[in-house]
Amino acid sequence: MNRLLTVLRCTVAATLLVTISGCKTAVSAKPIGPTFAIQPPLGLPPLSIPPENPPTVASIALGRALFYDVRLSNDNSISCATCHNPVLNFTDGNKVSHGFGGHVGVRNAPPIVNAAYLRLQFWDGRAASLEEQAAFPISNPVEMNQSHDISVAKLAKDPEYAALFNKTFGPGGVTLQRIENALASFERTVLSGDSAFDRYLFRGERDALTPSQIRGFRIFIDTKRGNCSTCHTVNDTYALLTDGKAHNIGVGAGDAGAFSDMGRYPQTKADADRGAFMTPSLRDVARTAPYMHDGSLKTLKDVVDFYAGGGNSNPYLDKEIRTIVLSAQDRQDLVAFLESLNGTPPANVGPPKTVR
Amino acid sequence: MKLQRFAVPSLLAVMSLLGCKLAEKSASPAATPIQPAVQYFKVDEAHVGTIKGTIRFAGKKPVAKLIDMSEDPACVEAHKGKAYDESLVVSRDGSVANAFVYIEKGFEGKTFEAPTTPVMIDQRGCWFRPRVMGIQTGQPLQVVNSDPVTHNIHPMGTVNREWNHSQGPGDEPILRKFPKTEVMIPVKCNIHSWMHTFIGAVDNPYFAVSGDDGSFTLPKLPPGTYTLAVWQEKLGTLKQQIEVTEGHDSVASITYKGQ
Ligand code: HEC
Ligand code: HEC
Repeated sequence: MNRLLTVLRCTVAATLLVTISGCKTAVSAKPIGPTFAIQPPLGLPPLSIPPENPPTVASIALGRALFYDVRLSNDNSISCATCHNPVLNFTDGNKVSHGFGGHVGVRNAPPIVNAAYLRLQFWDGRAASLEEQAAFPISNPVEMNQSHDISVAKLAKDPEYAALFNKTFGPGGVTLQRIENALASFERTVLSGDSAFDRYLFRGERDALTPSQIRGFRIFIDTKRGNCSTCHTVNDTYALLTDGKAHNIGVGAGDAGAFSDMGRYPQTKADADRGAFMTPSLRDVARTAPYMHDGSLKTLKDVVDFYAGGGNSNPYLDKEIRTIVLSAQDRQDLVAFLESLNGTPPANVGPPKTVR
Repeated sequence: MKLQRFAVPSLLAVMSLLGCKLAEKSASPAATPIQPAVQYFKVDEAHVGTIKGTIRFAGKKPVAKLIDMSEDPACVEAHKGKAYDESLVVSRDGSVANAFVYIEKGFEGKTFEAPTTPVMIDQRGCWFRPRVMGIQTGQPLQVVNSDPVTHNIHPMGTVNREWNHSQGPGDEPILRKFPKTEVMIPVKCNIHSWMHTFIGAVDNPYFAVSGDDGSFTLPKLPPGTYTLAVWQEKLGTLKQQIEVTEGHDSVASITYKGQ
């Protein structure tokens, strides 16, 4: 039935507009009106924004409404915010997420905070942009479990929404591409910076960090000690705390390099990507327990101890992961440093008042 | 795929004519008939003997060194009381504890089935318990962490694969096997430098660790002539020939000379 609907709609659109590029592009999904300049907080670089989706005040507001709207799920019970809850720093606080009908997923929900800077989305990097990413959870059977046609139809039935879509993108009503674009624009405003660490490093406030945190930072960037910034990068003028690449650090490794989750490997088929996952940013990390793609580490102390021991050996382990000699004091300092990465929470990103 | 290729070199030589793709595909189903079903050696328990023995050290009794865990205060607390170096534990009368005893020779051509009950290592009080243990090749090793801190167990096999694995407080047990005979495999914790244990992997079930009184027993041995080997962490390895006869206890008195 859904299939049929799509086919029908595509045919209609195609005949009307004589387009060969498919249904998605039949109606413009580029927001109209003046572009809103998103100002990244201290410690973050300028945002790169796809030219075909410049954020506007209207598209950001629409994306925010959609992000909190349970109608994007099959039984109207789950919104994006169910798993990316602003109260839990846009995570769900679970080891792995629970979605439609109580289905338990296989991966830990990452915060969407600063996802705007990721070249590749998801733990395995399988989506190339926020726009592309948004469609995945909606139709994923263990997440929101709703076909895109139904989502579009459900929203189109609401006259208020239909008007908002037209106001934001021009005539054409609700389309999947418009939903994706609005969600992406909203997510681009969910930025976290201006942490104690940023004020210390980028504004020279020497007492923004405690002595223990400063020692921890030195360990973090010292390639002979923590070696953390090799992957969780810190630049001269900003710090994303991720290199945007996938690495095998041994999380989830079984006997002789068996992995229940192969990570990035299915995307690239490169041996080095077996059991490799995208380096997460460490911003706000003290607010996003539990840790790692499988949520297997409960505390930051557990994470630091994991690294201190050299992780889990396996044939694909990244060469930058090795036993590092850190005393208990060093490990404590490293944890204290990670706690300094809590940013100033972004404004206007909670549930909107108008749309339920 | 690589492993399977190694397993069937002769087959592959023939197959290589047909091209790599095909060889890879056929490798796994064809591998089955090449490995004949293993005939396990069954001991006739009605006709067995026993080796009993004691291990002594004739040298000067070492003074037990105190272990300093102050580097990790959580360990000091978890250990509850002082920790002493256990690399050579000799009682007042010269009995040696924690010596590993096993049959090194005498079972040529016989294959023993590996037990399915695991051998345990507990990480408790930032200490490996036990200090020395034996395991049959192919028998599961189960590693548990009873501590409130993370450990990273690291068996440094040279015949068996070397590996290390992180285990946080309350984490699931780690299950591993050692497929090849190796006496001993030194084990350390990558995080706590003072933690050591040793695993003796033997392809027969006849091994033991001496108790505090230096004694050990290897029961239910088929009659025959064996090489009994004893390993001690500090004192090294001693070997002796021993005859086992049905229904008797053969006694082995093993003494390490002091320097
Ligand atoms: C049922 C829980 C659940 C729901 C609902 C959900 N997500 Fe997610 N989200 C996850 C999980 C789990 C991942 C990681 C999955 C993976 O990497 O394979 C993820 C990943 C992401 C990422 C990638 C972030 C990164 O660091 O790579 C973004 C962005 C995101 N979700 C946005 C959304 C949006 C937008 C919605 C609503 C349309 C949504 N999510 C709905 C659980 C959920
Ligand atoms: C080789 C690259 C690399 C190095 C070096 C590295 N990391 Fe990571 N880090 C990763 C990757 C990849 C993950 C995600 C792994 C996974 O989930 O399987 C990760 C995950 C984490 C997480 C969990 C974040 C979350 O949201 O789940 C923390 C915290 C962390 N690293 C801190 C550190 C610290 C501290 C160091 C230095 C001691 C360090 N990392 C060194 C690549 C690296």
